[in-house]
Amino acid sequence: MSLVAVPSEPATPAVRYVGLATRAIAMVIDAAVINLVAIVAGIGASLILSVFHLPGPVKAALAGIGAAVYVLWTVGYFIVFWSTTGQTPGDRLMQFRVVTQDGARLGPRRALIRCVGSFLAALPLFAGFFLILFDDKRRGFQDRFAGTVVIEASQMSLAERRQAAKRAEYLAVREQQPGLPE
Amino acid sequence: MPENNDRSSARARGLLGIPGRAAEMTLRPLTGMMGRAAAAGVEAERRAVDWVLDSAELERALNAAVDSVRIQSSLERAVDSDGVKRIVDRLFDSGVLEQVIDRLFETGLIDRVIARLFDDGVIDRFFDRLLASDALWHLIDEIAASPAVTAAISQQGLGFADQVGDEVRGRSRKADDWLERAARRLAHRPPRVVPPEPDPGV
Repeated sequence: MSLVAVPSEPATPAVRYVGLATRAIAMVIDAAVINLVAIVAGIGASLILSVFHLPGPVKAALAGIGAAVYVLWTVGYFIVFWSTTGQTPGDRLMQFRVVTQDGARLGPRRALIRCVGSFLAALPLFAGFFLILFDDKRRGFQDRFAGTVVIEASQMSLAERRQAAKRAEYLAVREQQPGLPE
Repeated sequence: MPENNDRSSARARGLLGIPGRAAEMTLRPLTGMMGRAAAAGVEAERRAVDWVLDSAELERALNAAVDSVRIQSSLERAVDSDGVKRIVDRLFDSGVLEQVIDRLFETGLIDRVIARLFDDGVIDRFFDRLLASDALWHLIDEIAASPAVTAAISQQGLGFADQVGDEVRGRSRKADDWLERAARRLAHRPPRVVPPEPDPGV
């Protein structure tokens, strides 16, 4: 019986570090996702609060709470994605992953440190990010701060995964019914 | 001399034609009668065929034949029999059908039929009626909603998104290298030491 090769993830992926432009695009995508959710949630909250006639100090307090929620949401977004899959949605679209120097997945604490490092890197006119251009492992300030690297993570696309699943299904049917034509 | 020969041969042909003309004049009433009889026969046959086709008897006979259990069982036996299958197999194997089809195309009959269908507006009327029928739109809805078609469309959409993604990723990787080279050149730094690619055979 001849089996058709199913595309799969490479067994020994080449360690290739990702540069500034790709990471900037991923950051734009993540920022779009974060802000879109925040805007929708903010509009919803504003509409609900507009029904009530709240005094000025309460409104100011609510604005402060909203800002804190926004910061928490942003930090939580990165911590959750980096510590679970190693990829934010933007990273996944651009096919790279954040790992520790020895290739392990980040824990929540290291993810938080990297998040703080990113904030610090952005403070001096994003100078911390430009270190990526001069480091052999393409590490920015936040990577050195948290002991991480950003590596390529090629993966099957949705279409390829669907095709592979269909192929596997077809092969399973063929194994059960060997008389089927090729 | 040759003029004398031509004249005498023309005279001989005239003399030889006399019996033929005499026979023709003698038989003319007879051949005319036979022609009229043949025409009357053809007319009678045509009328008979028209009468048979127009009559309810033929329809009744055909209905009776179609409804006849005996004829139906005979037909079923004939269709189930190996003989019919062999005949059909031989018909296809002999290439007669291909010859017939080739002949139809060679004679231009098919072209004429198609041209006639278009010229008479039959095709237009056919499509008008087809588009006006609810069954067609029902069929289209069924096909559009079928899992195979929706899967194919979504697969195509995903394939397109993948293609765009691949292109963006490829260009961003090139931009990475270009930015790095430019920055290092500006800062008078040596080019980056790229880690060696692993052996593809491993």
